[in-house]
Amino acid sequence: MRAIVNGKVYTMAGQIIEGGTILIEAGKIKAVGANLPVPAEAEIIDAAGKLVMPGMIDAHTHIGIFEQGIGFEGADGNEMTNPATPQLRAIDAINPQDQAFKGAVAGGITCLTVAPGSANVIGGQAVAIKTWGKIVDNMVVRDPVGLKIAFGENPKRVYSSQKKTPSTRMAVASILRENLVAARSYMEKMERAGKDADKLPDRDLKMETLVRVLKKEFPLRAHAHRADDITTAIRIAEEFDVDICIEHCTEGHLIAGFLGEKKVAAMVGPTLGTRPKIELINTSFTTPGILFKAGVKVALVSDHPVFPVQQLPIQAALAHKAGLPEEETLKAITINPAEIMGIDHRVGSIEAGKDADIIILSGHPFDWQTRVEKTLIDGEIVYER
Amino acid sequence: MSAKKILAIINADIHTIAHREPIKGSILVENGKIAAIGQIEIPEEADTIDAAGASVYPGFIDPHTHLGVSEEGMGWEGHDYNEMTDPVTSQLRALDAINPLDDGYREAAEAGITTVMSTPGSANILGGSTVVLKTGNGGLQQRVIRENAGIKAAFGENPKRVYSSQKRMPSTRMGSAALLREALVNAQNYMNKINRAGDDAEKMPPRDLKNEALIPVLKKEIPLRMHAHRADDIATAIRIAQEFDINLTLEHASEAHLIVDRVKESGFPAIVGPSMGTPGKIETQNKTLESVKILSEAGITVALTTDHPVLNVYQLLHAAAAVVRDTGMDEYQVLRLITINAAKILGVEDRVGSIEVGKDADLVIIQGHPFDYLSTVMYTIIDGEVVYPPEK
Repeated sequence: MRAIVNGKVYTMAGQIIEGGTILIEAGKIKAVGANLPVPAEAEIIDAAGKLVMPGMIDAHTHIGIFEQGIGFEGADGNEMTNPATPQLRAIDAINPQDQAFKGAVAGGITCLTVAPGSANVIGGQAVAIKTWGKIVDNMVVRDPVGLKIAFGENPKRVYSSQKKTPSTRMAVASILRENLVAARSYMEKMERAGKDADKLPDRDLKMETLVRVLKKEFPLRAHAHRADDITTAIRIAEEFDVDICIEHCTEGHLIAGFLGEKKVAAMVGPTLGTRPKIELINTSFTTPGILFKAGVKVALVSDHPVFPVQQLPIQAALAHKAGLPEEETLKAITINPAEIMGIDHRVGSIEAGKDADIIILSGHPFDWQTRVEKTLIDGEIVYER
Repeated sequence: MSAKKILAIINADIHTIAHREPIKGSILVENGKIAAIGQIEIPEEADTIDAAGASVYPGFIDPHTHLGVSEEGMGWEGHDYNEMTDPVTSQLRALDAINPLDDGYREAAEAGITTVMSTPGSANILGGSTVVLKTGNGGLQQRVIRENAGIKAAFGENPKRVYSSQKRMPSTRMGSAALLREALVNAQNYMNKINRAGDDAEKMPPRDLKNEALIPVLKKEIPLRMHAHRADDIATAIRIAQEFDINLTLEHASEAHLIVDRVKESGFPAIVGPSMGTPGKIETQNKTLESVKILSEAGITVALTTDHPVLNVYQLLHAAAAVVRDTGMDEYQVLRLITINAAKILGVEDRVGSIEVGKDADLVIIQGHPFDYLSTVMYTIIDGEVVYPPEK
């Protein structure tokens, strides 16, 4: 048993507890509160003068599949040979030795979505993992956490250069529709066949994945920067009655009211960084604040390696400065991504029963001088200054 | 004759950078230059900015960017910094590709960055000449402060990746070094012919812009600005520079801390960065903010860079903050990296890099600490004109 004592605890469950105590047992949070008795056998971590909060969560990264410090040899996130590859699984390409994981725990990021890239209209299955471990299977929180799809410049650039479809936004939409239609037919065949093995269609891993989307077991995670691409993504999701989240959502502030009505979640970012293509021209730190005010649930994302995951607090600070209220900004890097990823029963806040993914900081996460002093994942200290 | 244009910034904490301790008082700006600093009389006709509660710093400087030649919000339409058709293009000039209206210059000014070098990229062994200019949004001519600030050169992975994919030389580090030596020898031969010809037009070689561009390098009027990440690439660059007795600046210098004695002995300065970015390739695997401290403590002149668009230029301040936070390096020394040291490495320290009488009035007025993410730049002033916030 461990006890973190005397810290200023941001639970992200509605409370800031001065001098709070967190009891940790078997990797889980056993209790959190102001005046908890600490069992004699507990190993004490004194957090006096420190800020304690849940480990940060980045809902959109490519850590482990676009490995840092390597070129072609570590680039496994974009299978640019077919624009529709729902059967691919990010988990099969994640290298837990990627140096980026070290940066993540040192930066206080304890849980991630790792998604395939955005070269394909349907890129493959994203996975939610912890940032510490040697065997990826043991790091998984939820697999799949969504099916990565992509709109806009990336798929059309990749395939038009190969003289293949899609080379326009129309074809991007069409390829997604075709695959969802095929999956619906496959699903109906399965249903009609029932237990009749003769009538069952041959097993098809592409279709199997999409059937799970049609059954709303996990959402489409749609890479979309421009307002028109976001709109198209939502149009198709509604046509097929599937769940969808918008990744990047760069021009979301231009259609905030619409997104608020549709109740889609937005994974905003990377906002740090430059605008090396047309679809990024309206990138702004005001986007998260405007979306929040319109009723959209917002998470902030690094898109690592686009910018390093450990800079998430800088992006958060700048989003706060541009209008996202402080508590909402902190939620956008903790409980909001957990909820959007459907893993909030395990991570995203400091509450009894949840995984003990906790970080101890020297000060407020938006303060430039603040350093991560300790990172705990499943109750274990995985980083210490 | 129009009347003198006078601006006074009053009630300020003035971080001159020329001195460690800030001065309380006023700055008087006349015709774009700093005329007086401290407890001074303010002429009645002066426009005044009350900086009570705020701090004034010299405009910050990023000495290695691709602003204007790699434009914001565009694809290939705005990418004009790598002419990947010939590995030796010393005759190219960044100036000819700069779009002074690139939105990146506006963002730079908004963040308090008032001077940058805009340079060709690192696809070529010799990429072309670099330009030092002010940010903001005026015309190019009034903004350029050093039109030919050096010839961009590059070693390591970039040129060999670009040209090996075209089945051309250089496809190895040996090839890269050989091409640089060959270009310098050609320029020496050309210069010797010109010198021998003297006034004899018959003996004068035909004008050759490639070779001509390298003559100021051979005469040490400008340096080669050498993109080099790995320690071996840095060492090769120093070797060749010493063979030809020319000046270098080490750009990126990601592994310079591994051969700090050799770099120190060469006397060449280092522009370190983008240290905050994700290491994207093998040659940047060992980059670390620690190297900034190690090189500085060895007495090497060091500046920081974002390599915009690799990092957005406004992250210059984030990088400086991270150096202080993560290495414990002295805050004043780190502020020098992004002001006077950068100015020295660009050869423009007579104009910018500190708040001193006679220098350009490039000033940033900040509410809060310049490293604080939540601080607000109240005004950015270039040559005595407010460029941020823009006029309503």
